[in-house]
Amino acid sequence: MSCSNLTMLVSSKPSLSESSALSFRSAVSSFQLPNHNLSGPSNPSRSSSVIPVRCGLRDLRDRIDSVKNTQKITEAMKLVAAAKVRRAQEAVVGARPFSETLVEVLYNINEQLQTDDIDVPLTKVRPVKKVALVVVTGDRGLCGGFNNYIIKKAEARIRDLKALGLDYTIISVGKKGNSYFLRRPYIPVDKFLEGSNLPTAKDAQAIADDVFSFFVSEEVDKVELLYTKFVSLVKSEPVIHTLLPLSPKGEICDINGNCVDAAEDEFFRLTTKEGKLTVERDVMRTKTTDFSAILQFEQDPVQILDALLPLYLNSQILRALQESLASELASRMSAMSSATDNASELKKNLSRVYNRQRQAKITGEILEIVAGADALV
Amino acid sequence: MTLNLSVLTPNRIVWDSEVEEIVLSTNSGQIGILPNHAPIATAVDIGILRIRLNDQWLTMALMGGFARIGNNEITVLVNDAEKGSDINPQEAQQTLEIAEANVKKAEGRRQKIEANLALRRARTRVEASNPIS
Repeated sequence: MSCSNLTMLVSSKPSLSESSALSFRSAVSSFQLPNHNLSGPSNPSRSSSVIPVRCGLRDLRDRIDSVKNTQKITEAMKLVAAAKVRRAQEAVVGARPFSETLVEVLYNINEQLQTDDIDVPLTKVRPVKKVALVVVTGDRGLCGGFNNYIIKKAEARIRDLKALGLDYTIISVGKKGNSYFLRRPYIPVDKFLEGSNLPTAKDAQAIADDVFSFFVSEEVDKVELLYTKFVSLVKSEPVIHTLLPLSPKGEICDINGNCVDAAEDEFFRLTTKEGKLTVERDVMRTKTTDFSAILQFEQDPVQILDALLPLYLNSQILRALQESLASELASRMSAMSSATDNASELKKNLSRVYNRQRQAKITGEILEIVAGADALV
Repeated sequence: MTLNLSVLTPNRIVWDSEVEEIVLSTNSGQIGILPNHAPIATAVDIGILRIRLNDQWLTMALMGGFARIGNNEITVLVNDAEKGSDINPQEAQQTLEIAEANVKKAEGRRQKIEANLALRRARTRVEASNPIS
């Protein structure tokens, strides 16, 4: 009788399931308990962050497997984000000839117009009653605090505007922002736009059209762009940038409406701002040699400026979208990289616990066999 | 003397090579540019750019911007540019119809501005996609 019991015990060893015979289930659990008590205190002493794992061997194995799978996914996401950062970088580089020439031309025309008193719709500074906020978020999550930061920034800005007694409306770009504002119906949102994988001039155009008509129809008196500025692969910061009114001198107004930057600074910031995805952001003088003195204006300089400023607006929006995307990818990359690290750490800990438990169990079973054999003699 | 044309959009360089002659639609009407043109700066309307190359005319739809001519170098900065051959005529026609409908529907100043812009863009694309005209 006891002999057959033994063989059963041996044969059931590989399965180790709870469905095995009731008779020695208690024996198994009694062996597990001391093991837990052993591993419990020993783990925190090694590292305080490790939570003692309390589950059966099979559960442990499942957990290890799932952690392994998660790690694979995060690893893949990290690689994909890294590859996309490169694409985003290329897009920025592709936009360079355009923005450089634009800046050159704008600078030159600006020079010639310094003395004139010009009146272009996009540059009209009106007393501010209503402000439009263009909030650029990402389309996807799993990128650390990226979306949260920009949304928090937007919330803070909304609070400021409310405190100033100004009206506001939101133009939301990106799925994450859209869903956030959709859940909060008390925030007036004018338009929900979706971002795209790679921002193109068309996307920028859509936003620019919206903003343009908003401003020109005098529904809003100021347009601010909230996006995440790409500083480096590990650093990005949410910023507020005044889009409209464009000052004819290219001055950039700060949040309070005070013009802070000198004309040249803004222009040059445009050219050097993120030429590559490096931290090079210092002010650099562009070569402004080419405009010959005999250059004629086919139209009124004002009209030319009128044609140039929307371009400038567009390229600024495009740049903001590109920066935002680059920041999103970079923050996804670092988030996924730390997730991968965490997963491997977790896997290590889990397998250690698993191996210990398995070993304890085997020891226990051997003890049982020996004890049974002794009893037979 | 050769004439160099480069058409730049925020995304990419659409055209960067020699041409024989171009006709540019500016805000004050079309102007033709041949080699050794006097240096000028002009605003470019939403309209068509015609390029003569090897005695063949190519068309390109330009979505508004700016051009600078001087030293036999033409630099066209536009929001968007599409070569006529790249535009699908049917698709362009459909867009035009939608745009026309939108203009009729538009209410309020803001919507009208938007709808009119869209209509002009659509019209230009249709024109550019027709090789003859």
